[in-house]
Amino acid sequence: MDTKHIELVPPLVEAGKSSDLAQSGHIVSASFSPSNNSLALHLAPLNLTGSKTSTVEQPEAVYLAGCDDVPSSERRLFIADTVVIFSMFKSMLKDAHLRDPTWLQTRQALEIIRKLSVDYVNFIKECWIHASQPISRPEPLQLSVEHYRNLYSTFSLFVVLFVPEPGYEDAPVGEELMEWLNIHFIEPSTEEGDQLSSLDHPWEDENFWSYLTRSTIRGFSKASLFFLNTLLQHPSEDLQELVKILIPLVESHPRLPQFTAERDFAYASRKWKDKVKALRVEMDRFLDESYDWWDPLSDLIGILEGRGDVIERVCEELGADWKEVCAARGIFVDTRLRRQDLPDVVADVLEIMPPDPTNLEDMMLSSLFSGHADQVLKHASDFDLWLSAHLADIMEPLGLLDAELDFESGVTKRDEYVLAYAEYLRSDSTLWRITIAYLYSCGRVGEEQADEVLMRVPLSLNAATLDESLTPGDTMAEVVKDISSICLEHSRESVRRAVCKIASTMLVRSRDYGMAVSYSTSAEDWTGLGRVIDAVLDEYIQNGPVVFAGYASKIAPSMDEIQSSSRTHQIFAHRLMFTVRYSQMHKMRLDRDYPNAALDLLALLRDEIAPRSWWPILLCDAVEFLQYGPKLLFSSSDAIELLRKLEEISIRSSQGSGDDYLTVLIRTIKGGGEKEALERLKQVRLAIARYFARCTVGNG
Amino acid sequence: MPSATVSDSVPIETAHEDMIHDAQLDYYGKRLATCSSDRTVKVFDVVDGDASKTSGGHTLKGHTGPVWQVAWAHPKFGHILASCSYDGKVLIWKEQQSQASAGGWSKVGEHTLHTASVNSVSWAPHELGAMLACASSDGKISVLTFKDDGSWVADIFNGHAIGCNAVSWAPAVIPGSLITPQQQSIPGQQSQTQSVKRFASAGCDNLVKIWGYREDSQSWVEEDTLEGHADWVRDVAWAPNIGLPKSYIATASQDKTVLIWTKDTATSPWVKTALDPSSALASPSSSSGASSKFPDVVWRVSWSLAGNLLAVSCGDGKVTLWKENLKGIWECVSDMNS
Repeated sequence: MDTKHIELVPPLVEAGKSSDLAQSGHIVSASFSPSNNSLALHLAPLNLTGSKTSTVEQPEAVYLAGCDDVPSSERRLFIADTVVIFSMFKSMLKDAHLRDPTWLQTRQALEIIRKLSVDYVNFIKECWIHASQPISRPEPLQLSVEHYRNLYSTFSLFVVLFVPEPGYEDAPVGEELMEWLNIHFIEPSTEEGDQLSSLDHPWEDENFWSYLTRSTIRGFSKASLFFLNTLLQHPSEDLQELVKILIPLVESHPRLPQFTAERDFAYASRKWKDKVKALRVEMDRFLDESYDWWDPLSDLIGILEGRGDVIERVCEELGADWKEVCAARGIFVDTRLRRQDLPDVVADVLEIMPPDPTNLEDMMLSSLFSGHADQVLKHASDFDLWLSAHLADIMEPLGLLDAELDFESGVTKRDEYVLAYAEYLRSDSTLWRITIAYLYSCGRVGEEQADEVLMRVPLSLNAATLDESLTPGDTMAEVVKDISSICLEHSRESVRRAVCKIASTMLVRSRDYGMAVSYSTSAEDWTGLGRVIDAVLDEYIQNGPVVFAGYASKIAPSMDEIQSSSRTHQIFAHRLMFTVRYSQMHKMRLDRDYPNAALDLLALLRDEIAPRSWWPILLCDAVEFLQYGPKLLFSSSDAIELLRKLEEISIRSSQGSGDDYLTVLIRTIKGGGEKEALERLKQVRLAIARYFARCTVGNG
Repeated sequence: MPSATVSDSVPIETAHEDMIHDAQLDYYGKRLATCSSDRTVKVFDVVDGDASKTSGGHTLKGHTGPVWQVAWAHPKFGHILASCSYDGKVLIWKEQQSQASAGGWSKVGEHTLHTASVNSVSWAPHELGAMLACASSDGKISVLTFKDDGSWVADIFNGHAIGCNAVSWAPAVIPGSLITPQQQSIPGQQSQTQSVKRFASAGCDNLVKIWGYREDSQSWVEEDTLEGHADWVRDVAWAPNIGLPKSYIATASQDKTVLIWTKDTATSPWVKTALDPSSALASPSSSSGASSKFPDVVWRVSWSLAGNLLAVSCGDGKVTLWKENLKGIWECVSDMNS
């Protein structure tokens, strides 16, 4: 494998100075980001004495460097648009698994596979055309026009050879190969033809015969005939005579698409070849005349005769390569050449005309011609991970790849290439949706990786990218909703819960307690729920009853849901109930509904809904009701209940269990301790005593 | 793919007053924490690979010596950082409720049980709860287990004579347990997978040790000792097991080697392989001499998220990236020129 070189720009250390760096006692330290394949790089001293270095301008800078080129510009569009086809393909395969396993071999399945494969080809073609246009672009192209052309030629050939129209798998392939060659490797050039046709005596031009021969090989009968007709003006009457026979032969060359039955085509081809042989006999009459046109015309007829050696030699002379020889063989030599026989023909040709090992396109194409799926993918992955992933994705259901799991890596061949592509996509975290679409198609290993990607989708966006009409909570809700539906689709419940837990923690930080409770509940994270409730109660301690009541009212709606759920741990439900009811009491108090507030407060104590540590707080709250002038708000038995709670606190505190009762009250007294807390409770005792006095005196 | 990638990003100017010892990105890759000889820890927001212009970064002051390492806790525990220093302390930092951008970091814990420099801190996988392992020059390792209220209990025990350089946790789920067929997880029903409390430590005794927690005795037990290095082991990194069928540990040593330790199943022994830099670094000097040695001391090893890429920081100023090919051979896939 070739080592990829990554350069930091601007450089941290000047070129060639890294040894100076080492000598000065420094290294470049690297650690991976936990979210993608980028690294945080910085200079670090080797030991404590390693001090600042003068080799570097910014010794305290940290670089974030990616291992891959982050997709930009047209490449992003390409990635985003092709995942649509990929997803359709995936859902088709998913359906296939639900049906009879042999369904994939049916004509219907093959038709779908072909349609989607052709979709890829058409899409690549559009991108190539788009990239070729000389328009001004907001960003320069990330990948060259040539890159898209290579993708186009390779993917098209793959479709021609491996995804034929259903029913035509066993049809001769020569015509399709030639058509493919004519689309992707245009020869002879139109300019050449224009130039020759403008001449009065084109045969006098040095390029005349090569142009005519190549047009004939490529099956451009119109061009061939045009120039053959010019030869009727040639000074040699012998040539004129031969050309008169040749023209109708070229005109009547039987081509497969003209026939509905292959048998008819074969019959017509045989008859036609007999006529060509007759022409050869005619021609041999002039063998001794040493005409300068004899050799090139003989080659031309040799091609029509289907003489492989002539085709190879002529192609070589014309500067054509193995592809052209293979396609020409399919048209002239073995007119009934089948796809399955192609590798043998190709092997022979490649022996004489090997592909260019320095040209990845040539290597991909020759591997495709040879039917070596593994080689195709290897070269394709060196060229573009997109290509290898998408070819492999189609190859597996077609049976071109081993679908067994590799023992060592636990993945299939197809998965290996798709995972590599997904890893490349991870270089840009905003492509996470696309990344997981590929990962979730790669068995258990892919699922695990997708889970990690999904769990790292940022729940809070940066302020700059926020839609101003949305609060951070709303934005997070959107993201969590999105992730949840993806989790549901792929049965990733544990991921959904993990994300909800994080969301809850973050919402507590931003004091969005209502949402925090629903996320904790949804994740069945009862300890997390406890933390949210504690945070709300903390609002009382830190900011007093008004702020507390405001926040607590946000979590009230979730109480019904939690109480109706049998899964909720009772202890948390209880704490939540206290929080909500306590805040409701405060709300009534703030609304001056004292009678009901007093009743509620008492109920919280009497029914022991309030935790012990909150009793002192509630008792302090009660003072206001005890001192309420217009009316007695508690019955005397109620007041006794208050006194009883107060007694319990005093007695237990004197026995050393103050921690169980007084911690919350102590926290509300800034800088206070147990002594101050007990002092505060004395005021409650006094209020109760006075209340009893009022009860004795009368109705108040 | 082009064979040369240019990583064109504006370096983050940290404004530390002295050299940086560690830089760590958080769970989402959105924040960067750095620590330095200037005794501070700094936190930056990272936007598209650059430090955010709006928040100039926060400076966390509290250590009285150079700060060696920082570690981010899992976000479900809140925005929490741990840092360790030459001053022998481990500090726990928490970002308090932030109103708008004025999020303030404050010290919420101070772990002072070590008697010498604390060289490394590492948070356990979040599935195990909030737990932090610390390695110190006093030869001891400590593990803090945090409670809900932020307090903790500390286990402290002898790790490596002379000193401990690094700690790294094993994934909570043992590799391989995912390969065996499992039932599809059903919403509302957590799939129960056995989790393990285990970590590796690297020491000045040239050893790497594996420690496991025994629930029955409520204590940390030395499970394995990996012998293979001929000098101080500087760093240890346990690979995340995302999709990997085996367990992997990478260790970097003063002896100029990086060893990859693999374990196929829970019962099989650890097997070591040395990275072979001579196959990758085509410099004439490396062709002579022992093949599996790096040109200089190896200081740091770091795994990618998927555990399939290993970054190696060598004393020669180079960072190389390694990957295991399908034949099980480790190849250098990238080198970074700084």
